[in-house]
Order: sequence, then C-alpha cells, then structure tokens
Amino acid sequence: MKRVITGNQAVAYGVILSRVDVVSAYPITPQTTIVEELSELIASGRLKTRFLKVESEHSAMAALIGASTGGVRCFTATSSHGLAYMHEMLHWASGARLPIVMVNVNRAIGPPWNIWSDQSDSLSQRDTGWIQLYCENNQEVLDTILQAYLIAEKVKLPVMVVLDAFVLSHTSEPVEVPSMEEVDSFLPPFCPDYPIDTQEPRAYSVITMPEHFMEFRYKIQKAMEEVPDVSKKVDDEFRSRFGRGYGAIERYGKEEAEVLLMTSGTVTSTSRTVIRKLNEDGLSVAGLKIKRFRPFPSEEIYGAIKGAKKLAVIDRNLSAGVGGIFAQELRASLYPREERPQVFGFVSGLGGRDITPELIGQAIQYTVEHPQPEEEILWLGLKR
Amino acid sequence: MSKQITFKSVSEMPMISVSLGDMDWNKTGTWRTQRPFYEDKTPPCSAACPAGNDIVAFIQKIAQEDFEGAWNIIKEENPFPGVCGRVCFHPCESKCNRGSFDEPVAIHALERFVADFAFRLNKKTGKAREKRKEKVAIIGSGPAGMSCAYHLARLHYDVTVFESFSLAGGMLRMGIPSYRLPKNILDRELSDIEALGVDIRTGVSLGEDLRLEDLKDYQAVFISTGAHRSRGLHIPGEKEKGVLSGLDLLKKINLSKRVKLGDKIAVIGGGNTAMDVARSVIRLGKKATILYRRSREEMPAFEDEIVEALEEGVKIRYLVNPIRVGQKDGLKRLECLRMELSEKDESGRRRPVPIPNSNLFIDADHVVIAAGEEIEASFLPEGLEKKEGIVLTQRDGSAGIKGVFAGGDLTSNQRTIAHAIGSGKKGAMAIDAFLKGKDAEGAIIQNLIGEGPSLSIWGYLHPDERTRNPQIVKFEELNMDYFEPAKRQQESKSAVKERIKGFKEVSSTLSEGVALDEAERCFSCGTCNECENCYVFCPDGSILKREELFSHQVDYDYCKGCGICFTECPRGAISLKEEAK
Amino acid sequence: MNKIKVPITENLGHGHLACAGCGAAISMRLTLKALGEKTIMVFPASCWSIVPGFWPYSSYRITAVHAGFVTGAATASGVRAALDVRGDDETLVAVWAGDGGTFDIGLQALSGAAERNENLLYICNDNEGYMNTGTQRSSATPLLAWTTTTPVMQPKENPKKDIMAIMADHHIPYAATATIAYPEDLIRKLEKAKGIRGTRFIHLFSPCPPGWKMASEQSVKISRLAVRSRIFPLYEIENGRDYTIQEEQRVVPVREYLKLQGRFSHLTEKDIEITQANVDDTWERLLRRARC
Repeated sequence: MKRVITGNQAVAYGVILSRVDVVSAYPITPQTTIVEELSELIASGRLKTRFLKVESEHSAMAALIGASTGGVRCFTATSSHGLAYMHEMLHWASGARLPIVMVNVNRAIGPPWNIWSDQSDSLSQRDTGWIQLYCENNQEVLDTILQAYLIAEKVKLPVMVVLDAFVLSHTSEPVEVPSMEEVDSFLPPFCPDYPIDTQEPRAYSVITMPEHFMEFRYKIQKAMEEVPDVSKKVDDEFRSRFGRGYGAIERYGKEEAEVLLMTSGTVTSTSRTVIRKLNEDGLSVAGLKIKRFRPFPSEEIYGAIKGAKKLAVIDRNLSAGVGGIFAQELRASLYPREERPQVFGFVSGLGGRDITPELIGQAIQYTVEHPQPEEEILWLGLKR
Repeated sequence: MSKQITFKSVSEMPMISVSLGDMDWNKTGTWRTQRPFYEDKTPPCSAACPAGNDIVAFIQKIAQEDFEGAWNIIKEENPFPGVCGRVCFHPCESKCNRGSFDEPVAIHALERFVADFAFRLNKKTGKAREKRKEKVAIIGSGPAGMSCAYHLARLHYDVTVFESFSLAGGMLRMGIPSYRLPKNILDRELSDIEALGVDIRTGVSLGEDLRLEDLKDYQAVFISTGAHRSRGLHIPGEKEKGVLSGLDLLKKINLSKRVKLGDKIAVIGGGNTAMDVARSVIRLGKKATILYRRSREEMPAFEDEIVEALEEGVKIRYLVNPIRVGQKDGLKRLECLRMELSEKDESGRRRPVPIPNSNLFIDADHVVIAAGEEIEASFLPEGLEKKEGIVLTQRDGSAGIKGVFAGGDLTSNQRTIAHAIGSGKKGAMAIDAFLKGKDAEGAIIQNLIGEGPSLSIWGYLHPDERTRNPQIVKFEELNMDYFEPAKRQQESKSAVKERIKGFKEVSSTLSEGVALDEAERCFSCGTCNECENCYVFCPDGSILKREELFSHQVDYDYCKGCGICFTECPRGAISLKEEAK
Repeated sequence: MNKIKVPITENLGHGHLACAGCGAAISMRLTLKALGEKTIMVFPASCWSIVPGFWPYSSYRITAVHAGFVTGAATASGVRAALDVRGDDETLVAVWAGDGGTFDIGLQALSGAAERNENLLYICNDNEGYMNTGTQRSSATPLLAWTTTTPVMQPKENPKKDIMAIMADHHIPYAATATIAYPEDLIRKLEKAKGIRGTRFIHLFSPCPPGWKMASEQSVKISRLAVRSRIFPLYEIENGRDYTIQEEQRVVPVREYLKLQGRFSHLTEKDIEITQANVDDTWERLLRRARC
C-alpha cells in the first residue's frame, strides 16, 4: 500500500514490519518523531513491542545490548550528540556480535548547537564495528530497515541505517509499505547463536587475554568481509519480492564518463537531476551513489569507475585535519589499484546548509576543468 | 574437574567470548602462605575435671538431643554421673570459659540430667563379654575403688572388691546425707558396675579379715580404704561424753536416720562435713550452730552448701575458736576465743589469731567436731610408703609393693569424689599397663587431659583415634561474636520449709527443655561441633562437608589461606600454621 | 549459638581469582546461593569482571552477562525486557555492580531504571572505592579514609554518599543494606527481594583486605564491626517509606572498627572524634527518616 509519510514515519513502519521485540530510545531532534510514532503505535496496541524509555542514549544502547543478548530483535534511533554519547556502547554491541539495528538521523554535532543535517555524527562512529547504510529517500529508509535486520542477523553485526535530518526525517514522500505477510516471508524470526539458558548457564563477554583478543577482532573483520556478498543476496532477494533494490552503490548517468560524482544520502537525489541535465547538455559525467559506507564498498566502486579519470566526492561531513571522510575512504581504497583516478574532495552543506544544484554543478565544473585538485579540501559554497 | 581449553586456530574459537568451561583447573591453593586445619584442643572444663570427664563432648550430645549418646560419653570415663552431677564440687565450672562472658555452664546439672535420663530408660553399661585370666583385688568400695573396678572390668579383668562395711559405696554412702545424694542414685550406679561382673564382697576388713598374703590369687591389688578417722581438736574435754565426731554422726544418720541427740548442737569446723552435720541435725528437728575460726571467705565448704545451710536455719558463728569443752547444768559448755585475721598463711588464707581475753561460752546439748578426716594406717600392709599422712604412690600409681596400687582419699589430701574417681581410673590404667607389661607411667602421661592431672581412659583405649591438642583453650581464643548472653539454668530447689522436714533430695533434675537450653550455652571450646561458620564464610568455597566424625575438611586445592575460618570459628577448633614451602 | 543456615547450592565455582579473604567473594557466594540458578546476573565493570576468570573460563554457575561500566541497570533492563517478551517471568534478572558502578558512574542508569521501576534486583557490592583499579576514591569512600587518590596528607574530605536515601526516594518497593557478617540476614533480604516485583536494591557491604589494608582473616569481623559501630547499619526500606532497622545490641565506638584497617591508621584522636560524630549524625538521620 502506498502512503505519504515522512522519513521518520518510514522508520516506524520498518520497525513494525520487522516485528521488533524491544525498542529502547531517548529523544533527540530530529529523531523524536520516530519515538513518538512508536510510542503511539505501542500505546494503541498495534505494536507488541517493549519500549524502554530510558534516561539516556548510552542506556538505550546498553538496554538493547541486554535485550539482544537475551535473544530478541532490537531497535533504537538517535542522532548527533545522542549517537556520540552511545559511542562506548556501539563498540560493545559489535564486539558482542549483537544484530541490533539503529537509525541515525544525520545531524551536526555542537557546538555551536545545530540540529540540521550533517554526516559527522555517523561517520565519527565508523570504527565501532557497525555496518552503515545511508538512505536517499523515504522508501529506501523503510526498505533498508527490513534488509538491515536480515543482514545483521546473518553476519552477527549491528547495522546503522542513516538518513538526513529534516530533508528525509520530516519530509513526506509517497512510500510503498509492504504487508506484514510479505515481510514475514522475507525476514524470519531472530535466532541467536548463543541463547541464554539458565539450565546451561554461561558467561557472556568474558574478559579476554591478549592471547585470544586479536582472534575475536579478526572474526569481526571476517564478518565485515562477508557483508558485500550477504547484503547483495539480501538485496537481490528483496528485489525479487518487492521489486526494489539498492545495491551497495549505484552508478547513474552517462555510461562512459570521464568524470564521476560520488555522493551519499539525499544529495544523491539532487545530483541525479544535475547530472541528467549535464548529460543532456552533452557532458560526459556520471553519478555514483554510495549507500554502504561500512564495510566500505571498494570492490563495487572500483568495478563502477572503470574508465573514469576524475572522481568528485561531495562530503557533508568534515574530519578536521583531513577533510571529507568519504573522499578519504575513497582515496584509501584506490591506492592499491592500478587505475587511480584523481579524487576531488569537496566539503559542503555542513550543519544543514543546502547543497543546491548550483553547488553540485560548480563541483562538477571544477573537476572537469582541473587536471587535479588545487587543494586537498575543496570547500563548496564557503563564504570566503 | 575441568581441564584447560586450548585452541589451535581461530576457526576453533567461538564467535564471542562466551565461557566454555569452569575455573576448577585453577588450583588457587598454590597462593596459600598459611594453612588452616581442624584441630580439637582441650577445653578448660575437662582439664579441670579430676574425674576426666569429656565434658564438651557430652554436652554437645545433649545439644543434639542425643541424651543416650551423652550418657555413653560420660560413662567412658566415669561410672558415677548421677553421683557427680549431684555432689561433685564441679571445678570444671569455675574454669568454664563462659564464666568470662556471663556465667559458667551448669555442667554438673547437665551431668545429673544425663544420668537421670539414663536411669529412667534403665540404661546399663552392659557386661564385658569375655574375661581375661588375670584377677584384681580392690580394697574399699568408695568412689576410687569402684571407679578402678569399673574400668578394669571394662578392660575384661576379673575384679573382686572387698568392703569392710555391710554395704558398698564407702564415703558416698556414709559421708553424704541423702538430701544431697539419694541412696537409690548411688545404688543404681553401684549396681551398674556390678552388672559388669564385678564381685563385691562386703563385711571383709583389711587387716582383720584380710591380709595382703591372702590375695595371692590376684595379680594386682588396689587399695582405696579412704580416710575415715576424724581429726581431733586437741583441746581439753573433747574425749568426754556428749562430744561426737562429725563423720561418725553422719554415718549413723545416713544409715539409720534414728539418732538420739539433744536439742542444741554445736558443730565445730567449716568444711563440708560440718555443713552436712549441721543440715542433717536441722532435719532431725534440732538446732545447729557452726563455729568456725576464720571468716566466711575462708570457709572450705562449698558455697552452695553454706547458702543452703543458712537458708535452712543453721547458725554460723565466725571467728570463734573452741579452747575447752566443759560442762554446765547438764549441757556441754564450750569455751572459745574470739579470733581475728592476720596475714595470709601458706594455704593462701588469712591466718586466724586469738584476741586476748575475748573468752566466750557457748552451751549445747552435744558438741560435734568436724575438723577434717585422716587415714587409718594401722591396718595397712607393711611396705606401703607413707608421707605427711597419706600413702605415697609413684607416678605409675604403684604404692611401694610390686603389684600393689593405691588411690582415693588414702593417697591424697585432695579428698573429693571427683579426685577419687580419677585416681581409681588412674589405678585401673596403671594395673592394666602393669599386667600387660607396658609402661604405665608413659601411658598415663600420654593420656593426660591438657597438662593433667586429669586423665582420660578413652585415649588409652583408642590410641589410634583422633587426639586433642593438649593446649587449653583460653577465653581470648574464642569468638564471642557468635554468642548472646544467656541465663545459666539451675536445678530448682524445694522450699526450705519442705527441705527441713526430712532427707528428701533438695534439688531436682533439669527438665529436658531446660537441659537443652543449658547445653546450648556451652561454647564447645576447642571442639568442632559442626556449627559450619567455616563453611558459611569461606570466600573460596573450600570447606568440604564430610559425613564422618569431623564433618568438615579444608579443600587445599583451592583454599587461599585467608584465615577467615580460623577467625570466625567460635570455639578455637581451627588452627593456622605457616604453609610449608 | 544458633547454627547459621545457608542454602547448600554453590553457584560460585572454585578457582576464582578473588584475593585471599575477599569480602565480596563471600558476598557473591552467599548471594548466588540465595538467588539460585534461575538467575541472570549483569556485571558492569568491577572486580567481578575479573574475579570469575579469563575467557574461555568462568567460575559463575549462573548466567552472567558482563556489561559496560555505566550500564548495569540499563543492560539489566534490556535483559528483563527480552525475558518478558519471551514470556519468561520466572527468571530473576539481577545486577552486581561495585560502588563505583552504582554511586558514581552507574548512578544515572540506576536512577533511570529505578524511576521506571524496572523489574530487577540491583546489588551494589560496596567496597568503598575503585579497588579493581588499585584503590582510588569513589563517592562511597568514607570520610578521612586513605586511598591512592586521597593520600594521607589529604584524606577523603567528604563523607560517604547516602545511596540508600537516594534509592529510597525513588520509592522503589524494596531497598536493604546487608553484609557478610550477618549471612542469614543477607539471605533473608535477598529472598525477600526475589519475591518482590519492581526495582529492588541491596546495598551489600564487602570488606576489601588489600584496599582497606587489613588482614585477610578479618573480613567478616570488620563487616560485623561496621554494623556494631553503626557506620554501616542494617535496615530495610519498603516503598521508600517503611523502615525496619536491624539494630545490633552490641554497639561499639567507631574506633573499634577503624583501628583494624590501615586505611584509617593516619587518623588522629581528633579525626576519630570527627568520624564518630559523622557516624552519630548519619545514624540520627536514619532514625529520623525511619520515624517519619
């Protein structure tokens, strides 16, 4: 059934359809309407989910770690400072190999206070062992949540589903909402590998000496390495059932383009328009949407950029001292390759400033015109 | 027991650090620098018991409501619990560690309770199955002789007791009034000894009817003829009519209860005989006044006896010393001097000295002299060594003639029933060792309780069983945290009005409930009574329960040697020593 | 004396790594006896992250979920929620946290859980400092005590935080203090707590021989003196309102308690008076609360 819903409502629908057992969350703008929606659904009896209305994001994730260890499907949503506050527990969730799914609504981290879209919150959690999936529209948000549980529960790693503040979270779009039965046949119930059984008691997350610690970390890496294959299968299965699929990346625009524009999140939607226009104008340029940030889709990207001479990356985030994080990751992934296109790292739209078609056009134009970037960080739309 | 788990490769490891085994392989006992161990030590009560009773053990049996078990324990050492529970001066109680906390445990009352319980059930020690070929003669059927007979009979000897009087029991029968020791109690304990096959021949006097040479069939002889001669005062008039010996009067009263006496009786002396005489006289409807040359504090009679005598109307005049027995108007007239106390003499008591010209006169129908007893040496066989009024025995119990041993009041100035019972036991052990060609002295030393002289025959009979550390448990070694103050339970006494009507027993046996309460008060010094504090408080779960006698043991595989069991043992039954490297 | 009766089951296995004479090991052993096997215990960081042993071993014979330092009450809330979803309302969910994990870093999560009246039993194993990290002060460290961060030149300037009052004022159904010297009282309180729904809080006082610089054999003795000196009174609070104090008849001056511990050996006569005054004051406060 098609409904016109906000991104946050799409999240709530994803949670309902995934038959989540335990939700634990703490409100923060712009995530709040998710917890409000879920509270309403639970209060009305439509959702048989325990909602732990905890006193902090740290406790929200801790509670899910407890619940997931207890063998049930868990969900939380947060944003910005809330995510940062959870940081310690993010490590714990992945270290304990708990398939928790979390939505993070991208928002800048203060100071200064700012509630608008910015990827610095989620990207500063890139080393916590979570899979990260970025969404472009509300349909993708809903679909990604359904896929996220299947991926998480197959590889035993937590998944962060990321959407932009306001642009998605508070903006309504038509979304095809699948039926419960359809989702049930796609997403089986969660079966933990090490269920709690007081008859056969055991200890979880036991302190580990240097003798064994590294091997546990190796296993997390191996699980991450399974993700491309697993998530492709999940996506294919999803596509066969629902007619929609996303891939880890998506290339669009002219097929043999010398210049590629790499974006994530809602910027991709704007870029699609810009690139379509430029292609119509005869410019050999294509777009590359990055959906999966962790594990970084190096293989998929390398496969998609054959022939490109220059890659423009628009980062709505900043790792101060380095630059945009997507660009940095991309450079690192290309380094061992034979063909290494020039990477133009643009930083733009921080703190929710609009990344307009004009700015995207400027980025492409700069890339086309310059054999190589004049600066490590190309500030797009900065008031110099 | 778990083993250590190893992994050859990462693929053998689980996904997460979920536990796969326990820590039992980790023998934390290797951390230990000090080692706790269970070790029974000697309670002060037993060490103080001249009869060598295993007091803690029998009280613990009472606490477990195993009264028969308690009786069996007492009877291992002492054939006279009914007697001792009533008339022993219970030195055990004055040493009882509980006395430093609130009041001593009423050990005597518990012993009496156990004896009377056994009597109600008609418990018998039982007859020794086979007899050895050796025969032993015992001369005198008092507590020493009968104790010796009892233990020898249990050691399977053929024992014959010769008694000059027509009834057995010696001083127990003749010297102790039945309001303190009813005759049926004595009779049942004597008959219990007889039931072991001991032959008691009464009416046979040493010297007159029997000589040592007549006892050639006996491989050993134990002489325990007691001390029956009253000590005189060595004052003018004491041999006159109307002046009686305390012991003689008691014998008469105890045997017939019909004695012709005047109305007013003066009793001279401050010991138990004086008390017994005075209280007996009161029961015959007469008036009794005790004259004692020192003050109450120095009185050798037991405190209870003095108190009861006073309750019953006995008058005591202190600090008066008779110097002459005269006569006036058909009455005896005692001339006395008032005394005062000066510095302490060698007995530790303050010496009474006469006050010049303080003469006073006391009139009475009869004067009874109860100034102590001494041994009658005239009929004793030649060759017995004597010194300072007693027969001298060696440390192995022998008395100077080969095969002849001696005990009881004859050989000691500590003339108590408990001492007599203990010396009989020592005689039995010495005779057994002698007849078996063993080292009697060594056996005795080995079985002393604490530092002695109390002696245990249990250890002698069971040399391989657990032994106690002779160290006597001090109050400071106990943990008072586990004890609440609790009132000492006493036998109830009948009303004075009832008491003085006759010779019925003054006090009554504890009821079962009261006995249990009193037994609960026992600290069980130095003896594990399975309170389980060690088990409860062990941080390492290293106290194992065991079904055997010692119910617990330390699991040295894991015990870290913290010493908490040692500290929290309420009774000092756990020791700590440095761990051997 | 009456024999101390404790359940026979041993749910803390052999070979654990607690120091010799560890009061908390006694606490744990008794607690696990009382709670039984049908228990899931959450362990935020404390000595008890280490004591049961290193992977792949554990000496716990109950289900143990190790958790982040801050998260005791929150993780347990989640475990409870999972069990509720699975329809298991029999299994007890408990937390075993140190004083740091309770009084300090875990207080927010605990307060949150208590306010929500989460159905869990929270046990604070209080050894009055960060002992696992080598004896640093916590807000549970007593007045004037030495720790490595309150050296004797400047011992702890503030009295111990009144965690029981804090918990009582959350109006949780049950809060109680307990300590190892009174095992039957401890077990009674745990069993009582087990039978109540909602947030239950046990403040468990566990002497630490190395941290308190005391002899290993005196853990129980010191625990008893803490009660007798009223520096750690035993009491229960129901619904934040109804107080029951287990008064010790044998009251001793706090000096008796202090003198056995090296962490107080620098105390002057004046310091001991100050400590006594603080103990008296805290005791009076408790009585006032109990009367209201």
